[in-house]
Amino acid sequence: MQCCSFLLYPPRALGRHKANLLLSGLNVKHHQWIWLPVAAISTSVYATTYFSAEQAQQVIFPGGKLTPATATLTDEQAERIEKQSGVNVRHKDIQAWKVAEGGWFIVDEVVGKHEFITYAVGLNADGSIKQIEIMDYRESYGYQVRDAEWRQQFVGKTVADPLKLNQDIRNISGATLSSKHIADGVKRVLATYAIALK
Amino acid sequence: MPSHSNKRRQARPLLGTIVEITAMGTGIDTVKATHAAFGAVECVQRLMSFHGPESDISRINAAAAYDEITIDIQTYQVLQFAIELGALSDGVFDIATADILVRHGFLPSPQHTVKINANATYRDLELLGEQRVRWRRKGCIDLGGIAKGYAVDRAIAVLRSSGVHSGVVNAGGDWRCFGDAQPISVRHPTAPASLIPLGWLSDAAIATSSGYFSAGSGNDDSINPLVDPQRQVCTTWNESVSVLAQTCMTADALTKIVRLAPEAAPELLARFEAQAVVIDGQAMRCCGASLLQQEARA
Repeated sequence: MQCCSFLLYPPRALGRHKANLLLSGLNVKHHQWIWLPVAAISTSVYATTYFSAEQAQQVIFPGGKLTPATATLTDEQAERIEKQSGVNVRHKDIQAWKVAEGGWFIVDEVVGKHEFITYAVGLNADGSIKQIEIMDYRESYGYQVRDAEWRQQFVGKTVADPLKLNQDIRNISGATLSSKHIADGVKRVLATYAIALK
Repeated sequence: MPSHSNKRRQARPLLGTIVEITAMGTGIDTVKATHAAFGAVECVQRLMSFHGPESDISRINAAAAYDEITIDIQTYQVLQFAIELGALSDGVFDIATADILVRHGFLPSPQHTVKINANATYRDLELLGEQRVRWRRKGCIDLGGIAKGYAVDRAIAVLRSSGVHSGVVNAGGDWRCFGDAQPISVRHPTAPASLIPLGWLSDAAIATSSGYFSAGSGNDDSINPLVDPQRQVCTTWNESVSVLAQTCMTADALTKIVRLAPEAAPELLARFEAQAVVIDGQAMRCCGASLLQQEARA
């Protein structure tokens, strides 16, 4: 299986020559602290697509037969889910699939201050968590993350239409935020299963 | 036929962050290799989590003074390294400061009720051999400053033994690669959307500590979850501290020492053949070995 990654609004690349000049101080051995100038490149968005829903299904339930079982929560169900999980219900339409061999596959999304993450939860037949996979990770430092139109541009993005990955910023040390929002989202998924799907 | 015909990139929420594993190879099952590498990370989480009531760390923290407990060989090895670093850094690196992190809301209150001696340090945790440990004075440990790096090392080891040609593991900034050289960037400490390219790394690790995402949500937003054992307080900082080393556990742990004792850093960096890169708003300074390359070299 092939996976893709893409970066939106690729940053202005540093000229190779300039980058070399700056880095030349970094690859010499130093026994004391030495100072160097900083050259930064700007990004406003960092985004990675790992799996489409179909791919995530096969990752969590290899060879499984999944049938869509989308559900719409009633107001009363949404209220009970919020009460049980302590987490807000943002969407009443639940993206769920039933696994013929037993179990459920549910797609959910969480929005933090800077991040927007789509992820899939696989549940065993007894409702316990089988596996969690990140499908999409978006990070932004403007107003965009909470903007519906901005998020809409990712809908339907699959490995079939990858945008070009900027090779120079593929790896970032100190990159990701905590997974607290995902942990909260999973609580909501478990409550949704218990109240509306089981 | 491209040389990397088979590539797998996958991410799961683990170790309190998002762990991303990339495996590349020709004629090998990268799906299976990646799955096994995540299994190694999950194992470290199970053994060394502060939160999990069944973890080795919770069992150590629940034990009374002089109670002997037997732990997993992996946890034992991490403790050995942590205690060695404590001694080498004159106590700057101290895993027994978890009670201060609990007090500031960075860690949840443990469920056990064994009373903690406020003066206990890492020196009070005795390693007795054969995976047995005990407290001399009762303390409370957290491997938050080192276990994530160790988990990355374990995942890399599993990828290698699976026959993967080239791999990258990133656990929220604790990062290691083998095989193909990889370009690496760090975030600007005062503008996290800006990236600073450092160069290329091959068969090496980097870990970065900085305040931008980790500040507490308690009364004081400016403190970070790193304790200065000498002053018994959580620290504040606006710099980004990265350490590059052969293993991610070393890199992870050394970032804390570079942060708390920059004057002692050159000697320790030399000892572990590691390199530190510290970035503040205007400039960066570096120290130690030379692990960064200007160009991709195989």
